[in-house]
Amino acid sequence: MSKPHITSAYDRDLEAVQAHLMKMGGLVEAAIIDAANSLETRDEDLAEQVRRNDRQIDEMETRVNEEAARLIALRAPTAVDLRTVLTVMKISNNLERVGDYAKNMAKRTSVLVHMTPIEGSASDIRRMAKSVELMLKDALDAYIQRDGALAEDVRLRDREVDQMYNALFRQFLTYMMEDPRHITGCMHLHFIAKNIERMGDHVTSIAEQVIYLVTGEMPDDARPKGDKTPYMAEPRG
Amino acid sequence: MNDMRIVERDVETREIKIRGDKVQVFYGDNHAIKDVDIEIQDKTVTAFIGPSGCGKSTFLRCLNRMNDTIEGCRVEGEITLDEEDIYNKQVDPVQLRAKVGMVFQKPNPFPKSIYDNVAYGPRIHGLASNKADLDVIVEKSLRRGAIWDEVKDRLDAPGTGLSGGQQQRLCIARAVATEPEVLLMDEPCSALDPIATAQVEELIDELRTNYSVVIVTHSMQQAARVSQKTAFFHLGNLVEYNETGEIFTNPKDPRTESYITGRIG
Amino acid sequence: MTDASANTPATPRVKTSLLELGERTKKRNAAEARFKLYGMMAVGTGVAALLLLLISILSQGLPAFTQTFIKVNITLDESVLDPSGNRDPDEISKVLTFSYDPIINDSLKGLALELSAQHSEVTADVLQDMISAEAKGRLRADVIANPDLIGQTIEYEFLANGRIDGYMKGRVTRETAELDGNVTPLQLDVADAMIVEEKLEKRFNWAFITAPDASELRPEAAGLGVALMGSAYMMAIVFCLALPIGVAASIYLEEFAPKNWITDIIEVNISNLAAVPSIVFGILGLAIFINYMGLPNSAPIVGGLVLTLMTLPTIIISTRASLKAVPPSIRDAALGVGASKMQAIFHHVLPLAAPGILTGTIIGLAQALGETAPLLLIGMVAFVNNYPESIFDPATALPVQVYNFTQRSDPAFVERASGAIIVLLVFLFCMNMIAIILRRRFERRW
Repeated sequence: MSKPHITSAYDRDLEAVQAHLMKMGGLVEAAIIDAANSLETRDEDLAEQVRRNDRQIDEMETRVNEEAARLIALRAPTAVDLRTVLTVMKISNNLERVGDYAKNMAKRTSVLVHMTPIEGSASDIRRMAKSVELMLKDALDAYIQRDGALAEDVRLRDREVDQMYNALFRQFLTYMMEDPRHITGCMHLHFIAKNIERMGDHVTSIAEQVIYLVTGEMPDDARPKGDKTPYMAEPRG
Repeated sequence: MNDMRIVERDVETREIKIRGDKVQVFYGDNHAIKDVDIEIQDKTVTAFIGPSGCGKSTFLRCLNRMNDTIEGCRVEGEITLDEEDIYNKQVDPVQLRAKVGMVFQKPNPFPKSIYDNVAYGPRIHGLASNKADLDVIVEKSLRRGAIWDEVKDRLDAPGTGLSGGQQQRLCIARAVATEPEVLLMDEPCSALDPIATAQVEELIDELRTNYSVVIVTHSMQQAARVSQKTAFFHLGNLVEYNETGEIFTNPKDPRTESYITGRIG
Repeated sequence: MTDASANTPATPRVKTSLLELGERTKKRNAAEARFKLYGMMAVGTGVAALLLLLISILSQGLPAFTQTFIKVNITLDESVLDPSGNRDPDEISKVLTFSYDPIINDSLKGLALELSAQHSEVTADVLQDMISAEAKGRLRADVIANPDLIGQTIEYEFLANGRIDGYMKGRVTRETAELDGNVTPLQLDVADAMIVEEKLEKRFNWAFITAPDASELRPEAAGLGVALMGSAYMMAIVFCLALPIGVAASIYLEEFAPKNWITDIIEVNISNLAAVPSIVFGILGLAIFINYMGLPNSAPIVGGLVLTLMTLPTIIISTRASLKAVPPSIRDAALGVGASKMQAIFHHVLPLAAPGILTGTIIGLAQALGETAPLLLIGMVAFVNNYPESIFDPATALPVQVYNFTQRSDPAFVERASGAIIVLLVFLFCMNMIAIILRRRFERRW
């Protein structure tokens, strides 16, 4: 944080709202990891817990938004303070979406545990989730440190997640063509992978917010897209 | 979830310091304050806002009976400090004002040395038995006024030679030197530049730990920044009195909403 | 959003240049220049009048501070002045001025002898008429003051007669001397001779300031001593009475008195009193202090009381004005920290108002110092040539002395009157200076 304000209560308010945001980030990170783990270990209780915890994340989002609105109303922030508050509101929104995806993963996990597992898919998904979780952690670190370079790095790493998703997409397509009984499981797994891919997009958006916070400008060059699935046809051969 | 709850907003639980009950103030035939009921909490900054002539300053001045000095001013209803009626015949206003200190719109240090400015109150109230005690009181008050570091090397310099913001903090130090329980501030920052204003606001926030502070201000932003509770006065009526965040994000009365959003209403 | 004015068509704007003066601007500037000119003329007139006044007074009055003295050798014969020989001051005092006549005559004979070389017609009698009638009185006073002089021959300086003094100052010429019964051209010739012999000298005359008044016949001896003392006594009385009474009254009226019809009447009356002609106060003093209370005539105590009454409204008005000028924020500040009303006033308001109060008081005193009319009525216009020993002894006052001098026929008194005016002006100037210095020193920013 830069130099303190003369009115120390202003600093306290700013710190409080950001502390909320960080706590929310922590909850979301945990939700991602737990959701992926529950899928891999076929742990229905853990999945149930992820679904329950999402309510907490949603409440946190409401609170962060309230705090931010209050801060705008009472302190009339300007310049970097204004960007901070705006960023906080957007990031909280992104985090909430990420939390929702994690919850959705957990829901699907509850269904998947009652089906025959599909070889290797769970660990691939966990790896993908782990990588998104790392991105989120780095993005939040970048926010705390006001580190634009790290945020830029996170932004570029989204392409890896996209590539993982591409690979999984192909894999699931193959499975389903091989054996139609896998279709239900694969569909769920595919949606889980898609959710994780979307989480990556939200994390990228967080990273972009950090860059905006630090520099005052949104990164304008087009984000490297790695999701090739919209152009994918039936695998040849 | 409550661990993250910001403590200072938790005002409803504080004990009540000043209570106004159906307070009416008349200036001659002019009915300046109408039926004001209010409960002002201890260790809280309460802001009075409202358009000019809405009676907020008048009401503030009722709280330490500064209105007594105005010809033709009449107060009805009951105002209590710690459940004692301050308009009781037995109450000497001088004694009341020692408990309820006041800081004015324009910084008004006495044309004396900085030391004498602060020492004046304790002297007339006999709070110090000797010079050493008085020195202690002066230093403590100047520290509370957040001005000690700036003036400690020139306590003999005239108080009028300080800058506006320093003068106002000196006046606050002077007010706290008599160990009041309530501090009334009548637009304390209207004559100050933004930096000095911020310093005074910071000081007000610190004073909250020891005093009940009531501040009248024309600047809604200032009320928003420094207070925990805000009272909106309009045409002599207390229109809305609530937690400051509520007033500024979600006012209940349309008049309050119009005023704080700057609409014609 | 309902911005109707935006829809009204804009009137076509006439293009004007800033470098050309418009018709109205020219008129305005001309009016301003004219007004400045009138102002300068007014100031010039005032300054010119003041200068004229000062020049006339100074040119007429400054000679009064010098006086002509005649130097003689005088033998103070012990057998005449101190027959008992024991230098007892009481014994010496018993010798009247009459006995000094022969001694002076003897010394003048000696002087005549010395001068005979210059002028053949000089006799002791001629010289006798040239020295002041006051001479023997002064000589006697000096002998009584210093008995050791008896028996010695000393060089002594007699005051010259008013006409000789006038001759020295250019007021008396040979032409006027021809027509004048008090001086002859011969005496003027003798005076010329004495100047050559360095027996006649004009120098600064302290006696003008310290000596009491003298009769019409000896203007050369007249001084302002009694008048100065009388004025000083009266100023002391006015200061001691008017300041506390005036300040107390103003503080009460300004800070404590309820605002009702009684105080309104008092206020109006104070303002009216300030405008009452001063002679009315004189009549009041005569009726109350002298006739009713039986205080002595011509005494500074009565004058002081009358002037106090006269000055009070001035002091009250100026004190109230300076109390009002103290910003209410100071009062609020004091009341805000829990001072009582009296503490607020005495600790804070009064010190701030003090320069204003003192200035008002000094201006009131200056006004009282220059006041003549009421003093005439209470008898201070009398001829007093004994120093007053207390405020109950008869005295005169400076402005009355001026008036007195101008009433006398001998032209020598004209310069005395102007000289007295200079003294009065110097006093007034000093008092105003004090007022300015006080204001400068104590005036504080708030």
